[in-house]
Amino acid sequence: MAGDDAPTPATDPGAAEAIRCADCARSDSLVTGLEPVDRMPLPLEAAAGFPDGVPRARGLSRRDFLRTGAFGVASVYAATRIDWTRAFEAAVASGAEPANHLVMIFLNGGNDGLNTVVPVAEYDAYRRARPNLARVLGPPAAGQVGTAPMPGTGDAHAWASVCVSGPGNNGDTKGLDTLWGDGSGGPGSDLALWPAADYTPANRSHFDSRDYWFAGALEKRTTGWLGRWLDRYGSPDNPLQAVSIDSSISKQIRAAQAPVSAVRALSGVDFRVDRVSTRVGDATEQMAPLAQVRAGRGNAGLARARDVYGRAVQVSRSLRALSGAPTGAGYPNSSLSSRLQLAAILLGAGLGVRVVTIDWGSFDTHGNQLGSQDPQLATLSRALAAFRDDLSARGIEQRVVTVVFSEFGRRVASNNTGTDHGAGGLMMAMGSAVRGGLRGEFPGLSVLDRGDLRVTTDFRAVYSAIVAEWLGGDPSAVIPGGPFPLGGPLVG
Amino acid sequence: MSPVAVRGRRRRVRRPAGGGVQAALSEAMVDRLMWRTGFGPGESDRRRLRGLSLHAAVDRLMRAPQGPPQGPAAVRRDGGPVRPHESDVDLVLDWCDRMIRTRNPLVERLTLFWHRHFATSRDEVSPPQLMAQQNELFRRYADLAAFPTSNMRTLAYEVGEGPAVLRFLTGEDSTARRLNENYARELMELFCLGVTDAAGRPNYSEADVREAARAATGWRIDDANPDAPRAWFDPTRFDAAAKTVLGRTGAFGHRELVDVVLAHPSHAPFLVTKLWGEFIPDPPDPATLRDLARRYVREGLRLRPLVRRILTHPAMLASIREPNMIKPPVVYAIGMMRALGLGITDETLFYGLRDMGQPPYFPPTVAGWEGGAAWLNTNAAVARFALANRLLSASYAPLPGGEPEDVPAETPAQAVQRAHRAVGRPWLASGTRSSLTYYAAHAPTRSAYERTSRQRVLRALMLGGPDAQVM
Repeated sequence: MAGDDAPTPATDPGAAEAIRCADCARSDSLVTGLEPVDRMPLPLEAAAGFPDGVPRARGLSRRDFLRTGAFGVASVYAATRIDWTRAFEAAVASGAEPANHLVMIFLNGGNDGLNTVVPVAEYDAYRRARPNLARVLGPPAAGQVGTAPMPGTGDAHAWASVCVSGPGNNGDTKGLDTLWGDGSGGPGSDLALWPAADYTPANRSHFDSRDYWFAGALEKRTTGWLGRWLDRYGSPDNPLQAVSIDSSISKQIRAAQAPVSAVRALSGVDFRVDRVSTRVGDATEQMAPLAQVRAGRGNAGLARARDVYGRAVQVSRSLRALSGAPTGAGYPNSSLSSRLQLAAILLGAGLGVRVVTIDWGSFDTHGNQLGSQDPQLATLSRALAAFRDDLSARGIEQRVVTVVFSEFGRRVASNNTGTDHGAGGLMMAMGSAVRGGLRGEFPGLSVLDRGDLRVTTDFRAVYSAIVAEWLGGDPSAVIPGGPFPLGGPLVG
Repeated sequence: MSPVAVRGRRRRVRRPAGGGVQAALSEAMVDRLMWRTGFGPGESDRRRLRGLSLHAAVDRLMRAPQGPPQGPAAVRRDGGPVRPHESDVDLVLDWCDRMIRTRNPLVERLTLFWHRHFATSRDEVSPPQLMAQQNELFRRYADLAAFPTSNMRTLAYEVGEGPAVLRFLTGEDSTARRLNENYARELMELFCLGVTDAAGRPNYSEADVREAARAATGWRIDDANPDAPRAWFDPTRFDAAAKTVLGRTGAFGHRELVDVVLAHPSHAPFLVTKLWGEFIPDPPDPATLRDLARRYVREGLRLRPLVRRILTHPAMLASIREPNMIKPPVVYAIGMMRALGLGITDETLFYGLRDMGQPPYFPPTVAGWEGGAAWLNTNAAVARFALANRLLSASYAPLPGGEPEDVPAETPAQAVQRAHRAVGRPWLASGTRSSLTYYAAHAPTRSAYERTSRQRVLRALMLGGPDAQVM
């Protein structure tokens, strides 16, 4: 569940029950691998800054910040303890320069690409391999998910109807089809697909595969690929340059030196007391004087306790000042949406945020795949389309590339009610900067590798293109073992 | 000679401010002792130990048998028993349940110390039985009443030859042909010596690490039956040739390696300082450290006398009017459960420990938890208060002490007094008490609901506020 420890609304498909392997159940008890070294308040002024697209923190001084307060708290991860006031100044300074941004959305558990983008050219083989899970051809029928055309693929592929706007997806006007456009790579074709992206030989373990994808290398590493990019090309002082919207940082942004951060949510800092009159439901103001009692000389432990409580009171007061932060509209009801909304605020805030990571979903569909994956695909497609609108409203859409990936694809043949771990997953990149269309070869269903799709795109080729063409830098300095050619440009 | 030598021929007693080690313990001293060696005082501890000397009180605590756990066992939300081998949440709660229900909290505190010292994470160790088995090993060495000759040497043997560490530190992958230095390095760096000595000189070289790794080869894990995992020695994987570690040469195996490492002059000050730090916030002065280290070596690395000397040191009672050591989250949380008479009935405690930054079995790194001042930051403070609030509100479980009653005629001072008793009479600074009384005098009290609200807020502030974070 990727850090969604706030209770998720029952309507959130990310919370849908799926039958999963015992090994994966472990990843639910999310525990941070690293401890944050500090907490940095996020300035209110910066959050209030849309929709003109001008980085608002520009010219914002530390004094202004202390006056206006914070809208959230970033947990800072760094090799050494840092002072957040200095970090804040670094954030404002680096945010003054417009730059390209990257959002990495990890679909936790191994998304089944074949039921997301359906290989309709080989429909009979597809249906034979998974008779109990196959989409019906054409519009949804008899309660079954159908397929929707995917222009530009020569009718070889089709969207599962839960991914597109219209009746197949609750009649919503948003879906991946609105990003896909005509699939030509020209204007309005803003979604690139690699239908069998992975590494070879694929190892079907969740943990090894995740570690490889996060590390950008086929071995376990203490740094992530984006962490290494930050170490080389990022800021030495600004922890907001890479933010995991989660309770801990993603392994993708683990760096040797560069500071990075995790932000869980916009709110959640108060001293609330349950079952009391609304006039005293929040004990923050009663806590304030307790934090001001002076500790005896040399008593560092008690002084620390009171100081930390005092700072928490300050943060809580600031948060209360922010009633109704401006957030984008049109998102489906989901924890993914609230995190994308926060991502849009952070990217538009002018605080030098270059990279955002989001870890979402529960795609390990060994069983009950239709009941679990389909609502999540519907949410994902609508949330991505809403995110694009949100970024456009903030005037920064052209500077954001969003990548969606999962640790592996799933077996071509289904089991009883689901699919087991496989290889060759569906990887996507979205944004008007992206050259859209089917950018990787579909390996076909006639020749498989141990029952899995043959891998046609090394995921490190996409990473390398992101570094070279989007974030800026030398891919060989970030992704070991290359070069990994993508076979065409990522952007443009 | 140091003031620690309070028993035996060379008896000498130092009398610090607040009463010497032979003086009768006040209630504040009993509370101090019960927090530092356990999970806080109960009223029976206060009755039992008050008026004893520190030595007599510590002897009682150290002699107490674990006995059978008291009170009803942990249950899941659905009322069924916890299943520690099926769920990591339950694995954590199962240990928490022991801490809550034990008759000898010192055993659990020392077990926790060894978990922090030989940090092993369930994140990297499967099956979970390996973690549970290692926990039992730590508890065996922590029960100093049942195992009076408990000592670092055989503990280090057993930990290093235990499946959990062999898996966590990839010792099972280390063979004569493909050496893995992971365990050998941590044996020296984290378990026994530290990187440098007090003067900043390196305790060992990279060559020592490599040679040590050769001595630790050959160990494998048989976990075909996950309920009875065991490590075994495979001579075909062992590097049987001579090695030179820390200046000594021999065809060492794991035990000989441990012996060589423990004979290093940095071992005793390293271990003594670490164990001391579990109970006392300020490090020992050089003379005390030297004395404790010397005796620890002379007594064959036995742990019982060392623990006793630390717990009876006058520094245990330093700053007695104002507690000065930040409670680790586990101690804070279990202390609240015990003070309120609560048992485990759902996952609340697990998520609370995670949010406060100390889920047992999941240390963040091989070095364990940093602890000390690092336990507290603004998010952790909010998480600590949130757990106190949750335990106090019946949304967790009915409180054995009952819900706050409405007492219309009570004065503000009486309201503060009543709240204080309801949460186990924790330490409050006089300034804190004045602030709380001021609040009680100014809070709305027109209706019964407002008066019980005031009572709830007072209890939450006492149990979850800054003064409750120190011991």
